[in-house]
Amino acid sequence: MTVLQPSTGWSYLITLPWRTLNQRLSAIFFMILALGLLVLDRMQPSLMENSRAHIIDSMAPILDAIALPMTAAENAATRVKTYMSLQEENQRLHADNARLTEWQNALVTLQNEKRELRSLLHFKTEPGLAYISARVIADTGGPFVRGLIVTAGKIDGVREGMAAMTGEGLIGRVVEAGNWSSRVLLITDLNSRIPVTIAGSGDRAILAGDNSNQPKLLYLPQDAILNPGVRVITSGHGGVFPPGLPIGAVTVAARGTYGVTTSADLGRINYVRLVDFNLKGGNFNPLQNKIEAEDTTR
Amino acid sequence: MFAYLWQRLDQSARLVLPCATALVFVLLGAMTWPLPYFGEVAPPLALIAIYYWAIHRPDLFSPAMAFFVGLLNDVLHFLPLGLSALLFVGAHQFVFSQRRFFAGHSFYMMWWGFALTILLAMLVQWVFLSLFRWQMIPFMPVLLQVVLAIVLFPLPCWVLIRLQRAVLSAG
Repeated sequence: MTVLQPSTGWSYLITLPWRTLNQRLSAIFFMILALGLLVLDRMQPSLMENSRAHIIDSMAPILDAIALPMTAAENAATRVKTYMSLQEENQRLHADNARLTEWQNALVTLQNEKRELRSLLHFKTEPGLAYISARVIADTGGPFVRGLIVTAGKIDGVREGMAAMTGEGLIGRVVEAGNWSSRVLLITDLNSRIPVTIAGSGDRAILAGDNSNQPKLLYLPQDAILNPGVRVITSGHGGVFPPGLPIGAVTVAARGTYGVTTSADLGRINYVRLVDFNLKGGNFNPLQNKIEAEDTTR
Repeated sequence: MFAYLWQRLDQSARLVLPCATALVFVLLGAMTWPLPYFGEVAPPLALIAIYYWAIHRPDLFSPAMAFFVGLLNDVLHFLPLGLSALLFVGAHQFVFSQRRFFAGHSFYMMWWGFALTILLAMLVQWVFLSLFRWQMIPFMPVLLQVVLAIVLFPLPCWVLIRLQRAVLSAG
């Protein structure tokens, strides 16, 4: 058992028992090593990126194994809840079905009309989108970073810059793709900057994450007055995302600023859809190149 | 022969237990919780493991282990590489130097020591990351995480106490 001596300057090192001295010296060594890594990470982020992706890749099966029982428990709980409200749910679905059938009829008519008009104009159709569905195996969110790790990587066709969406709307972007797993940076993260448009008024803004659950709208026109609940969609500027992806609705935040309540519930995401839009500007990592990202998105 | 093998296995289990629990706690800290938004304020379990072993078995949990556990934490939590490593080694040394005081008399003393350690660690992390990213990171979620970690501390601590008694105290 080691006994600690009162520390008085460097000379106390001589009086320490061997084991304590060993602890101290190796702690100093590893702290210097950690500082060196931090400096390296700051100066040469790309150097570290590959090793990060490899480590996450090798950890993916373990994270997956840990996530499985949790997902199963959540599914079971949802199933029990659904059984309990079966009748109400059935009535709601009947009503929804009637409403949606009307919409479907309208859509089919519109789609036919659009096709005919496009053929008249010789309109160049946009390339098809590639979807990759992935399961969330780790929620690496915390007070400092908002992100997810998902079970799809380069082997499945994932590449950096792909948009991550749920059925409700945009939730983030792939910032690092390993072979079997990828990292998604959520739109609520401090480093996320997305050019958006306010539906209806057409006002442009930058949706900036601040690690809270409501990202803020920055650089709005000075005279812009937004009503709460108005839809916010991507504007397509900067070439990162195509225009029109739903994000959420406007909320009035403190001191006359505006925030956005995301359509997707970012607190419980089990599956994401990674969408490849084949856009030129989508291949950068905001964590690495924040200044460049801000310039592109402004 | 079997007795010898068993003995060696037992011995290895004793040696790797502190490091293994810290690694498992890092992985558990990154898992998807069934409670909505819990992940954002979930307590940093790895720090609890490091705090516990720095007090109870510093001979089996070296600064090198704290460093590697920190590196894994950085990778999984998208933090600048080396930040958790630096913090964990620092916290390990701080706790190691004060361990007689923290482990002193009752569990409450250890609890209080943890509160102090995590508050200092998160404060350093907050200041460092705000400077690193040159942006003020909201402090409220950090405070919430600290409070939650202090409140939930006995739970992971109980697991570690049970493990220590089961594996390290026998024999």
